[in-house]
Amino acid sequence: MTLAETISSALGLEGAVGQFVGGFIGAAIVGTFILANAAVAGPWAKRKITAAFTDRISVDKLGPLGIGIIIPDAVRLISKELIVPEGVDRPAWDIAPLIIASSAILGFAVIPMGSIGSVDLQLADPEVGLAFVFAVASIASVGLVMAGYASNNKYSFLGGLRAVAQNLAYEIPLILTGISVVIFAGTLQLSEIVATQQQSLVELGPVAIPAWFAIVNPFAFILFLAANMAEVGRNPFDIPEAPTEIVAGFQTEYSSVYFVLIYLGEFVHIFLGGAIIATIFLGGPSGPGPASIGLLWFLVKIWGVFLLTQWARSALPRVRIDQLIEIGWKGMLVLAFANLFVTAVIVGVLAPL
Amino acid sequence: MSLEPPEPELDVGETPDGELDYDELADLLGEHVLDREEHVNAKGFVIRPDSVETVLATLREEAGFDHLSCLTAQQYPDRYESIYHLKKYDDPTQELSVVVPTASEEPVSGSAAGVFDTAIWHEREAYDLVGIEYEDNPDLRRILLPETWQGHPLSNDYNQDQPQIVPLREHANPMEKRTQVPDRSDTMFINIGPHHPATHGVLHLETVLDGEQVVDVDPDIGYLHRCEEQMCEQGTYRHQIMPYPDRWDYISAGMLNEWSYARAAEDLADIDVPEYAQVIRTMAAEMSRIAAHMLAIGTFALDIYGDFTAIFMYSITDREKLQNLLEDLSGQRLMFNYFRLGGVAWDLPEPREQYFQKVRDFCEYMPGRLEEYHNLLTSNELFQMRVLDTGILPPEEAKSYGCTGPVARGSGIDYDLRRGDPYGYYDELEWDVITDDGCDNFARALVRLKEMEQSARIIEQCVDVLEDWPEDEREIQSNVPRTLKPDHDKEIYRAVEGAKGELGIYIRSDGTDRPGRFKIRSPAFCNLQSLEVMAEGEYIPDMVAALGSLDIVLGEVDR
Repeated sequence: MTLAETISSALGLEGAVGQFVGGFIGAAIVGTFILANAAVAGPWAKRKITAAFTDRISVDKLGPLGIGIIIPDAVRLISKELIVPEGVDRPAWDIAPLIIASSAILGFAVIPMGSIGSVDLQLADPEVGLAFVFAVASIASVGLVMAGYASNNKYSFLGGLRAVAQNLAYEIPLILTGISVVIFAGTLQLSEIVATQQQSLVELGPVAIPAWFAIVNPFAFILFLAANMAEVGRNPFDIPEAPTEIVAGFQTEYSSVYFVLIYLGEFVHIFLGGAIIATIFLGGPSGPGPASIGLLWFLVKIWGVFLLTQWARSALPRVRIDQLIEIGWKGMLVLAFANLFVTAVIVGVLAPL
Repeated sequence: MSLEPPEPELDVGETPDGELDYDELADLLGEHVLDREEHVNAKGFVIRPDSVETVLATLREEAGFDHLSCLTAQQYPDRYESIYHLKKYDDPTQELSVVVPTASEEPVSGSAAGVFDTAIWHEREAYDLVGIEYEDNPDLRRILLPETWQGHPLSNDYNQDQPQIVPLREHANPMEKRTQVPDRSDTMFINIGPHHPATHGVLHLETVLDGEQVVDVDPDIGYLHRCEEQMCEQGTYRHQIMPYPDRWDYISAGMLNEWSYARAAEDLADIDVPEYAQVIRTMAAEMSRIAAHMLAIGTFALDIYGDFTAIFMYSITDREKLQNLLEDLSGQRLMFNYFRLGGVAWDLPEPREQYFQKVRDFCEYMPGRLEEYHNLLTSNELFQMRVLDTGILPPEEAKSYGCTGPVARGSGIDYDLRRGDPYGYYDELEWDVITDDGCDNFARALVRLKEMEQSARIIEQCVDVLEDWPEDEREIQSNVPRTLKPDHDKEIYRAVEGAKGELGIYIRSDGTDRPGRFKIRSPAFCNLQSLEVMAEGEYIPDMVAALGSLDIVLGEVDR
């Protein structure tokens, strides 16, 4: 039973109304859950992680390990004055943060997050699941361009242009690498992709190595990780923001709630990137132990990807925009095509033999 | 045929033992020399205002004076005067002052901008503060004060008691006029700073971009101008000036700055410094240098990495260790005020053994730490990809722009006043001048990293010397009169190797206990001017990196 069906049956609703109410409440639950993760990540985990990498202490006054900072930080961010600069292009300027934040959350609609009891924690499982995720995640780029163009600020403008150039250069290798997984799995449906990875690849005594695509095709996994880093705009590819060059890029003119929305969007985007990686390369919610702790494994995986982004942030210099474009078009695109070709040959020609 | 190496080619006016022959130089210039002057550091030739370019070009081409170290302008009751302080990059002890008097009524002089690029900014400053007009200077605008400022504050008829307020509505309001569209309409004008994360303070770069590439960059400085020269002119030599140098390059380089004033004033007033004090000074100065370079490396990494990474934190942590050592020594963490004319304020902290141990511990800890910086920075391939072959500053340009310090040494110019014009205890110690032929951002960072190693060597040797110093000979100050009044009209220009390069002071005494003219030659000011050369045609991130590699401190640029 899916989450939506469980809710509608618990409320005793049926038919279209039941589907709508169940889906709506289910979406609210999933969205809140993801936003809660982002809330922990933004004001607290990010600080703690980077502090650990750079020999600092960071927040430690409120609550255990300073986790209480989330509450005052939320109050602080929301209570700040919203400054609307002269000459901004409204409503585009106002819509942009909403698009950035919502597009990332939208992607979680089709991500399988395990199950609790008989309830499947996946809002929808369309046959084109993977295509849907990539599609909605890319909408964020539109938001970035809108923010950059509507802000009436040259730094924002540069940041917006950089964001487009970067996303063009990286989304193609990203999706091509994703397609190589689709060739393996033979489906775009995310639950099926996860199911394919449940078989064990080899048995080493009592330990069964699962057929996660990260293990089957580590090359594609690494390629995807790198492209994902650029896709979510994190170091060494945080070029659209580049604080030491163009102040804050497309978000230079945003303050208060809009700033929070953009930041939230970025963190959710990182988690969505992690969720895609977990789903198509790391067996989704599967892992050792009973199936009921699937959600836990899912969380471990997306937080692992988050940790990786913060690690890169603390350790890698930002590449220059021309170098990034070069890496994207001349390096990763070629590698992504090569990977796709080899996968196609293996699956289509060698495997049937 | 002789197989002996050829004799090094001598410039005109140079004797075989490396001394200057001023008579020969005067012959070289012929009728251009109207008169001769005696400055404490060098002899001066008085020339006519319209022959500035000819004289400087001749001296540069034929006599090898390729370093226009400084330009001092001042007003006497009967005339204005510009002094071009010339040096040689090969041997900074060979100095020559070119004195250019101009009439009081119409202070117009020729410009040196055609010979030395660095003259453009120096003459702009002289025009701004003193009021001499340099005819052929291609860019004679105010540099430190706002465009709308009335009068020239260091000229004699300026009312220094009358505050001058220049509100924004009278100032050149940037919103009023639209930016001039340059010939190529596909460029974009953008103001980088004065409030920008990468400008290391209140620096304003008027930049023209073509896409992501820099077409033109014009640094606009003066936001942190605090009239340091004027304040020094109002202080007495003995005690009141020494605290000011701490406030020029305030990035831990206080000891080095203090030494520049101490050296100039001591040579001016013929004060001897006990050797014991010189050793302490040398040690303190090198500690300051490491601390300043630490911050330079940390912020440079910050510019490249874009975030506060471990390198920044590590360098701040290490700088903290030096701050502690300097605090033990001077009682202060930032504004040390430790040097005195004729020595230092007080002896090493008691118990001495404990202090020596602390310093030794640091010197032992340094090499391993530097290896870590090399691992994190210079051997990091991504870092190399970013900084190698970007921000190129060819040696000829560097000399023309008067670059000194790590910036010049990163362009392969072997110029270090600690060795070239020895002072303190440096010539008794063993250490190397670090140079690198890379001429790029990477080379400048590398030079700083390696210099810290040399500084640690110097400190260690100083500790050795201090430890064995007999207890009854620890003289920290020579006997200096309570009130210093150097003779009337003595002039001196003296420089030391500061953290950023050649930090020079010009003092003219007027017979009182305060300087008649006090001029600071700031290395960061001269180095910053070369940003144009480094940045043009590069990407924005490379310009930011070049700015970081220059390691400017706006407190010193603007004074």
